[in-house]
Amino acid sequence: MGAWIAFLVIATVLLVGALMVVSARDLVHTVLWLALSLIATAAAYVALHADFLAAAQILLYTGGVVTLMLFAVMLTRRQSGAQVLIDRANGGLRAALLAAALLGLLVTATVRGTPKLVAPTFNVDSTQALGVTFLTRLILPFELLSLLLLAAMVGAIVLARRDGKGVKLARLAPRVVIGQPHDGGEG
Amino acid sequence: MNEIIAAGPGLSAWLILAGVLFSVGVYGVLSRRNLIAILCSVELMANAVNINLVAFSRFHGDTLGQAFALFGIALTVAEVGVGLAIVMLVYRQRQGIDIDDLHDLLG
Amino acid sequence: MTSTTSSADASPPPIFPLHADHLVLNLALIALLLPLACFVLLALVWPLRRAGRLAGWLSATVAVISFGASARLLMLVVGGEAPLTETVGWLVRDGKVIASMGVHIDGISASMLAVVTLVAACVQVYSLGYMAEDSLPAQGRYFTYHSLFITAMGGLVLAPNLLQLFAGWELVGLCSYLLIGFYWAKPSAGQAAVKAFWVTKFADMGLIVGLLALYGATGTFAWDAHLVGIWATAVPALLFMGVMGKSAQVPLHIWLPDAMEGPTPVSALLHAATMVAAGVYLIVRAYPLFELAPSLLLAMTWIGASTALIAAATAIVQDDIKKVLAYSTCSQLGYMIAALGSGQIMGGYFHLTTHAFFKSLLFLGAGAAIHAVHSNDIHDMGGLWKTTRISALLFITGSLALVGVPIFAGFFSKDLILEEMLEAGQYVPVAMLVLGAGLTAFYMTRVIVIAYFGDAAEGAEHAHEAPWTMLLPMGALGLLAVGAGFGGDLLATLWGQQYHFGMTPIGITTSVIGLGGIALGIMRYGTSTWTADLLGGLRGFILSGPVDRFWDSAWRQGLLPFAQVVGWFDRYIVDGLINMVAWLFIFLADRIKRFQTGRAQDYVFAVVLGVVAFIAYGMVGA
Repeated sequence: MGAWIAFLVIATVLLVGALMVVSARDLVHTVLWLALSLIATAAAYVALHADFLAAAQILLYTGGVVTLMLFAVMLTRRQSGAQVLIDRANGGLRAALLAAALLGLLVTATVRGTPKLVAPTFNVDSTQALGVTFLTRLILPFELLSLLLLAAMVGAIVLARRDGKGVKLARLAPRVVIGQPHDGGEG
Repeated sequence: MNEIIAAGPGLSAWLILAGVLFSVGVYGVLSRRNLIAILCSVELMANAVNINLVAFSRFHGDTLGQAFALFGIALTVAEVGVGLAIVMLVYRQRQGIDIDDLHDLLG
Repeated sequence: MTSTTSSADASPPPIFPLHADHLVLNLALIALLLPLACFVLLALVWPLRRAGRLAGWLSATVAVISFGASARLLMLVVGGEAPLTETVGWLVRDGKVIASMGVHIDGISASMLAVVTLVAACVQVYSLGYMAEDSLPAQGRYFTYHSLFITAMGGLVLAPNLLQLFAGWELVGLCSYLLIGFYWAKPSAGQAAVKAFWVTKFADMGLIVGLLALYGATGTFAWDAHLVGIWATAVPALLFMGVMGKSAQVPLHIWLPDAMEGPTPVSALLHAATMVAAGVYLIVRAYPLFELAPSLLLAMTWIGASTALIAAATAIVQDDIKKVLAYSTCSQLGYMIAALGSGQIMGGYFHLTTHAFFKSLLFLGAGAAIHAVHSNDIHDMGGLWKTTRISALLFITGSLALVGVPIFAGFFSKDLILEEMLEAGQYVPVAMLVLGAGLTAFYMTRVIVIAYFGDAAEGAEHAHEAPWTMLLPMGALGLLAVGAGFGGDLLATLWGQQYHFGMTPIGITTSVIGLGGIALGIMRYGTSTWTADLLGGLRGFILSGPVDRFWDSAWRQGLLPFAQVVGWFDRYIVDGLINMVAWLFIFLADRIKRFQTGRAQDYVFAVVLGVVAFIAYGMVGA
């Protein structure tokens, strides 16, 4: 009973947050609603006995990603106002229909095909088990992950750097196409 | 009916929640025009996937699912980093981050 | 008591037995693999390639060595060396060798290899002079392609089966594409390269389908496979489709004149002497297959004869010296195909070899003229006889060989073709070929008179004679253009056939018609003092007399309209068909293009739609 109440509360907060993310007019609000959804996801992890994951979710997403997003919003705000935030008129209905179709399929598949599993009662600490998994079975992917994060960091810096070589490198490609008439001429 | 209530939310309940979240994310990616808002919607989709993984992990009693979810989180963080860098670049190039301005693919 | 079958028969897949004492095989491998090594070296070591001159000398040296090896090989084969086939297994599946690759050395392949490497060596040495004005990296690129070409053509010639022949076939096609588009900065060169590529690839579809049908019907790629029923006609017909593309037979000849956008030595090597002759070589090689389809052979005779006549007529109205020679090549290939169609493989092959020599000589001579005046138009040349006498003499030698004046090479091979075809009772095609020979004489005379003896055009007065690197190969080919005709006995020995040359009525007729064509050409185009001196009063008499009016009107009302009709047919029907296909695709592309909005979100939408469709399909299927 209590588990159901927790699930329903988490689901409600998560979905309301998500719906606001995709429909909020103001970009700052969008990001803040995203933060709420991410926190609700962390709550879902707790309900699923994944405590460490919940902590990582809060730290990385809510702490890191949302802050980054807000910075990006602030930095690109020069062209703020209604124009940016109005969603494409004709795209909305189409997107909604497709998303609904996807949802229908996913729900049908879930209802039809999910095995009846009963959650085992954990006696071991799932965080400890996770740590053991990472340092034994998944040690190579775990180390490779650090390489990926490093590559992403370098890539982000190179792309976003305003001075020096990074910008030159980044400007090379788009310059060819900017300002070209998009008349659909022979290509 | 009482048994279901007593047993608590099962695997399919979590999967449906994740499915709804994923679809909402897809809707956002397809309908938002602002690049940052699109990135936010992608985050929703990634979260739905992670919830799926964790739910399976819970109901199979295997921590591997959690481990994958953690990988997923790390990948998403990397994606956001690079994605936002690209957003900044686009903004600097054309003073706006409306995705409809990015139609250079049109031959 | 029954004995189990011996397993000694199932020998392991053979590997190249590189015996130190196996001279024949080693020579073939040198001729084949040394240019390959040179190509790999030039392709990979870019500083060497971009050094240009050095790369050129290296590549030319390798080509000369390659020729030396194949010449020695030919001598051994002439000396009675038995045919040799060495292969390694290729495409092994379930322990079964689907196809093999290697070398097959006999009289046909050894002589063809010698011809190919000889012309290639001449052309590469010539190119050292001809390409000297291009940038160094461009020269390096040029010679890199040339090295690849020798390997590819060698692999084609020495192929032990049709599959390897096809591989070499496509590789030479690639070289052709790369070299036609060598001046890639010029839009016309790029278009010509693409046109050549598409037309020949279209034809090659027939070839590859034919090969697959051959394998499906017999389980081998051998050219002496036993075909029955419908396959006996279908397979050779499909192979012949590829031949029509590669050897520029009407109506698939349209790429060859455009291919002249490439550097002139390329035209000499690929588009006159060797690559376009690969189609003829394929028929010679796979003749056991073609023999199974008499109706196809008949069609070949007619297609060849038509090509010979139509291309010769078209050559008359060309002003670009290389286009004249290109149409001339089409025409001569038509002779070969017609001969093969009448069952005269010896005649067709003989003409292939002599044509390789004199046509490459003509192209190199044209290249020298172009090099001297920096224009392809014969009207821009004029009076080159005075300034570039050696190359003019060599060009005229080549022309005489092409026209088939007695003692020159072309006379013997053309005579052999016509004689044999006449014996086979192909009267109408023979008449077409004889008429074509007259036209050949006429258009070559036209070129020579205008380009070498006409009034000197501006710029042509200061023309310089070509450097020795260009004259030396031309001289070598010139000797062959004169003397190769006497090699008929040698070739017949290689083939185990009898060949006796005799002056026959058809030979005399053709010679007379050829000389008549020359005379007509001189009368029509000879306006300079040189021809006036030569013909003197005779020319004055003809000019004033009714004969001239007759010829003039014949030319004006007969030949010219005919050439125009042919040209019209070529431009509107043949090209029109091709253009219609192109237009269809442009139309479709214009419609399909509208799906491409260029907006990122529309593409994402399509991706999600695809995912939804996949899931739905999976659920319905489950």
